Amino acid sequence: MNKQSLPYTVVFSFIVCFAFVFLLSLTHQATREQVQLNQQLRLQRSVLSALAIDYQDDQEVLQLFDDIETVERNGMTLYRIDRDDEVLYARIFAGSGLWGTINGVVGVNEDVSRTVALEIIDHNETPGLGGRVDEPEFKRQFRDKPLDDGKIDVIREGDTEGVDGRINAITGATGTSNAIETILNREFERLRDALRGEA
Amino acid sequence: MSDSAKQPGQILKQNMWTANPIFMQILGICSALAVTNLLSNTMIMTLGVVFVTGMSNLTVAIIKSLIPRKVRMVVQTLIIAFYVIIVDIVLRAYLPEISRNLGPYVGLIITNCIIMGRAEAFAQSNPPLLSLWDGITSGMGYMGVLLSIALVRELLGFGALFGFQVLPAGFEPWIIMVMPPSAFFLIGVITWGGKYLMHRQGEPVLEGE
Repeated sequence: MNKQSLPYTVVFSFIVCFAFVFLLSLTHQATREQVQLNQQLRLQRSVLSALAIDYQDDQEVLQLFDDIETVERNGMTLYRIDRDDEVLYARIFAGSGLWGTINGVVGVNEDVSRTVALEIIDHNETPGLGGRVDEPEFKRQFRDKPLDDGKIDVIREGDTEGVDGRINAITGATGTSNAIETILNREFERLRDALRGEA
Repeated sequence: MSDSAKQPGQILKQNMWTANPIFMQILGICSALAVTNLLSNTMIMTLGVVFVTGMSNLTVAIIKSLIPRKVRMVVQTLIIAFYVIIVDIVLRAYLPEISRNLGPYVGLIITNCIIMGRAEAFAQSNPPLLSLWDGITSGMGYMGVLLSIALVRELLGFGALFGFQVLPAGFEPWIIMVMPPSAFFLIGVITWGGKYLMHRQGEPVLEGE
């Protein structure tokens, strides 16, 4: 058979493509559930962190997430949990950082006068500078932080510990720090609108 | 380049050292800049490249006599893409954290010139097992250089190795080491060092004097 002829080339290309794509779809099918579970777990882990709920492993994440109610308010999806006589809400947000979108989850109390916690899902900030938004030292500042007049204020110097609404900026990352301030204050505004009349 | 060397030992030496894809052939350096700031990411990424280079070389060598000349490169690309997507799927399912860190770079292994280069230059004209070996050693040559870059970058950029803090807390991280340009400088230094050593050993040097 002439291996350089047109019919051979067409048939050969077809068979090769078919075989490889077939194998690929088998692999894809075989791992699809695992991939979906990973994505679901990632979201659930972030929501739990934003509501300041601790977990050990994936099994516990799924279990703890059962206590969380998903509610719709003003077209926004909120995650709600009753704890210690109060109702807490978490919302997934997206906003522009310095280089790209910052995705995260923020937890607040019912009248949005206090943040419960902050979790960053992903970001494209400069590693080692703005990228430190994802480090515990930065996020810890949002643990049960009372807001000042419904807002946070990211400041470069001065006391932040025990001062309402004040958050320490990230050194050398003014752009990212300002972005976080803008994104979160906008989210607080939206959450207040959505939760008005709930209390 | 002399691909006349058909001995496994010679192939190993060529691919790891005298014709190292990164510092002798200057191939595949785009990913060398992007994925070398943390050792664990580099490790997984380069293992992926070793797997893809080896397997695509093997596959090309097995079916080479069946491939019509007109579609030769298309078929090679298809084979390479196939293995890369397998790596991507496996990472996504079983190492989601690392898959997220590597982002688009796993998919971009397809465009890594080393793999296409080996398929064209070696697998097309050599038996399957030798091609597999050539692919694996080429991948290892790439791996060796990338890991040494990552070692310096993670150590100086984060004060850590494989995520474990090894330098004392008072150490001030070098921000430049975290950013891509530092990999450029390090590749330059490695290329210089490698070529200098080769001159000293009297190895025939590939490129212009």
